[in-house]
Amino acid sequence: MNRTVLLVGVSIAGILLGILFMGLGKNPNEIQSPLIDKPAPTFALREVGTGRTVDLATLKGTPVIINFWATWCGPCWEEHPVLVANARMLPNVKFLGVVFQDSEEKIMGFLNQRGSSYPTVVDDKGKTAIAYGVGGVPETFFLDANGVIRAKYSGPMSSDVLRENLQKALR
Amino acid sequence: MIPALGRILILASLLTAAAGAVLGFVSGRSRSVDGLKWTRRFSYLYSAFISAAALLMVYALLVHDFTVGYVAQVGSRTVPTWVTIVSLWSSLEGSILFWGLVLGVYIAAGTYFTRNYAEYQPDAIAVWLGCAAFFSFLIAGPANPFLTVANPPVDGPGPNPLLQNHVLMAIHPPFLYLGYVGMTIPFGIACAALIKGRLGHGILKPLRESLVVPWIFQTIAIMLGGWWAYEVLGWGGYWAWDPVENASLLPWLTATAAVHSIMVVERRGILKGWTITLIQSTFLLVILGTFMTRSGVFNSVHSFTQSAIGPTILGFLAVALLFSIALLAFRIDKLESDGRMEGAASREAMFLVNNLLFVLLTFTVLIGTVFPLIVEAMNGRQMSVGRPYFDSMVVPIGALLLFLLGVGPALPWGRANGEQVKKALLPPIAGAIVFAAAGYVANVRSPWTLITLAFGGYAAWVTLGQMLLPVLQRTKRGESATTAFVDANLRRGRRRFGSYIVHAAVVVVFICIAVSSSMRQATELHFSGKGQTLQASGFDVTFLGVEQRQEPHRLSIIGRFDIARNGKKVTHLEPRMNQYQMMREPIGTPDVHTTAGGDFYIALSNIDPMAQTASITVFTAPLVVWIWIAVILMGVGALFGLIPARRKASVQSTVEEPIVAETA
Repeated sequence: MNRTVLLVGVSIAGILLGILFMGLGKNPNEIQSPLIDKPAPTFALREVGTGRTVDLATLKGTPVIINFWATWCGPCWEEHPVLVANARMLPNVKFLGVVFQDSEEKIMGFLNQRGSSYPTVVDDKGKTAIAYGVGGVPETFFLDANGVIRAKYSGPMSSDVLRENLQKALR
Repeated sequence: MIPALGRILILASLLTAAAGAVLGFVSGRSRSVDGLKWTRRFSYLYSAFISAAALLMVYALLVHDFTVGYVAQVGSRTVPTWVTIVSLWSSLEGSILFWGLVLGVYIAAGTYFTRNYAEYQPDAIAVWLGCAAFFSFLIAGPANPFLTVANPPVDGPGPNPLLQNHVLMAIHPPFLYLGYVGMTIPFGIACAALIKGRLGHGILKPLRESLVVPWIFQTIAIMLGGWWAYEVLGWGGYWAWDPVENASLLPWLTATAAVHSIMVVERRGILKGWTITLIQSTFLLVILGTFMTRSGVFNSVHSFTQSAIGPTILGFLAVALLFSIALLAFRIDKLESDGRMEGAASREAMFLVNNLLFVLLTFTVLIGTVFPLIVEAMNGRQMSVGRPYFDSMVVPIGALLLFLLGVGPALPWGRANGEQVKKALLPPIAGAIVFAAAGYVANVRSPWTLITLAFGGYAAWVTLGQMLLPVLQRTKRGESATTAFVDANLRRGRRRFGSYIVHAAVVVVFICIAVSSSMRQATELHFSGKGQTLQASGFDVTFLGVEQRQEPHRLSIIGRFDIARNGKKVTHLEPRMNQYQMMREPIGTPDVHTTAGGDFYIALSNIDPMAQTASITVFTAPLVVWIWIAVILMGVGALFGLIPARRKASVQSTVEEPIVAETA
């Protein structure tokens, strides 16, 4: 038996497998944003349907889930029922949909057809999306009661993912 | 009906593979002739079952049978037929089934071509079928594409739009799989040699050939991937050091090292354990690469959706890794060397340096790829290792390899005296000077590019010299140049000539990569209306307007541009944004005008059909097309070297055959 080969081989294998194993549970969709643990950028946007202005300041006091989406985005359709159901089940959390690069008419059509349980606002020039560093839709931010961003998730969420991220905002 | 039949076929393939693996190891130990016979039968049977399962899936896709889970997931009635066939490997479950198909074909071929090597065959087949059993297990369990859909949908979403966007996507994955999966065959033979404790001269030929075949596919696949990125992704480059690109490069590096070290084993009987280690590493890196794309640990263009099979593949990697290390540790000392290294200035010494550089390169890329994971594990921060690391590490090692590509073949095998060394190494400096001077005249100022040109010129001189050497020897004896060339290079010394074609192509690839990346120009242009003309890199770009085109599976927004130089129209380009039905963002597709001298490339960054405005990025880069052509030439050269040489045609002259004409 060649001890050197065994020793070198086992150490390389151990290190490599160890690193890969630690990486396993991680989800690359949970992108860490520089905004995490910082106060959320403010905005005042027009609500679809009512035309009233929704201001971030008015949402303070409870945890807030801000979901960026658009009607032209397939995965957003997938995610929509999850959000609607959770918004109904979690009365102490405020949900807000922010739609960007889209027309109000299409958004209305979408919401009338598929239902809604929380306000949706239009990000006309995409300024809010830029302020939040949105890379693609859907993307969701979890704010605590003080308006500080505690988590961010990109891609469509399942209920489990939503609850898991919400925990970070409740702590 | 189809789901049940599919599951039965997969289960049958799992059983035959597992049974064949056990039988192979047992009959390898007992040297039983009947055992070997049955091992072979199991191997062919496995191939038949898994191929039938894959073909059944293709059939299900073609007839849009949405009761099959995978078809419901990736099938669509609106996409063209070629996209439907491509769907087989477009998503996780199908891609593993496709892996099984390719493995089945390789195992059947491997079994057939090693039929005369009864000493090693049972263990080799056992290792192949062991791997096959693992993949059949994946298909049968965690990644089952044949699940029954209780309420089949009327239509499905179609495969990932990125795959539908360009026809290169139909060829890149199969080539990659043919490269990746094929590395199982040399791995099996190498393991068999370790189990037997012997790497005899006879087994070297199948070992080398089973390595070169997937190497050819892998080479072409890497190029196709780069080409696809260039034609589709719209950032004007072809290589981004993305984790998954690295995953395809890593086994290629070790395989290339192994192809060279096998030659040293053949010629001098040394480096046996080293060669086997390289071949095993190649296979292990293939599995590592598969883990990287399938586990969701790495984020990349190539990643499949996150899935439960990550841990399973990691488990397999662990088993394969420990099996290889144990075999090496217990058996490496039994592989006796038949010779020894003669001196530092010899061909075999250069091979060793070449190997060390390839291994260094492998570690450099591997560390750069997994480093973000280490950092994240230690302090929880996410980071990525960018281009600068890879460029600053890889470019010098690459330049050294290019230099060796000139020095190595110039030196003789065995011991050489100072006079011989001088005679071999000094004249090619002329080539280096010519190439570097030509570059300087053509405005190349980047130091690394000039160094690459010089080393490339040196290597080109040596390579051409080696190609012509046997021809010159013959013409001196009075043969005509054509006959001499045909007989020495095309008829007899095919393997030698083929490998110098590969070397010549590598020189072209290095030079073109260096020149095209250091002389690339990027210009951003903003058009505020139809008919406007702006300048970029000496070309006049005229914006003709925006057009929208609705196709069944996508909506295309197309920018139309005329390109002119000195008042003469050069070409018309139409970069576009494709919006697929089920995709969140539109996919930009650049348009490229390719000439032998260089490429003119337009990518859309913003386009508005209402206002008829557009923002584009124009890239110009010289010599890009030669990279693709030269890589194909590398494959052709290697393939040419695999054609068995005809020796019986002229028995008489064999005696006088110069030694150089036999092997490279």
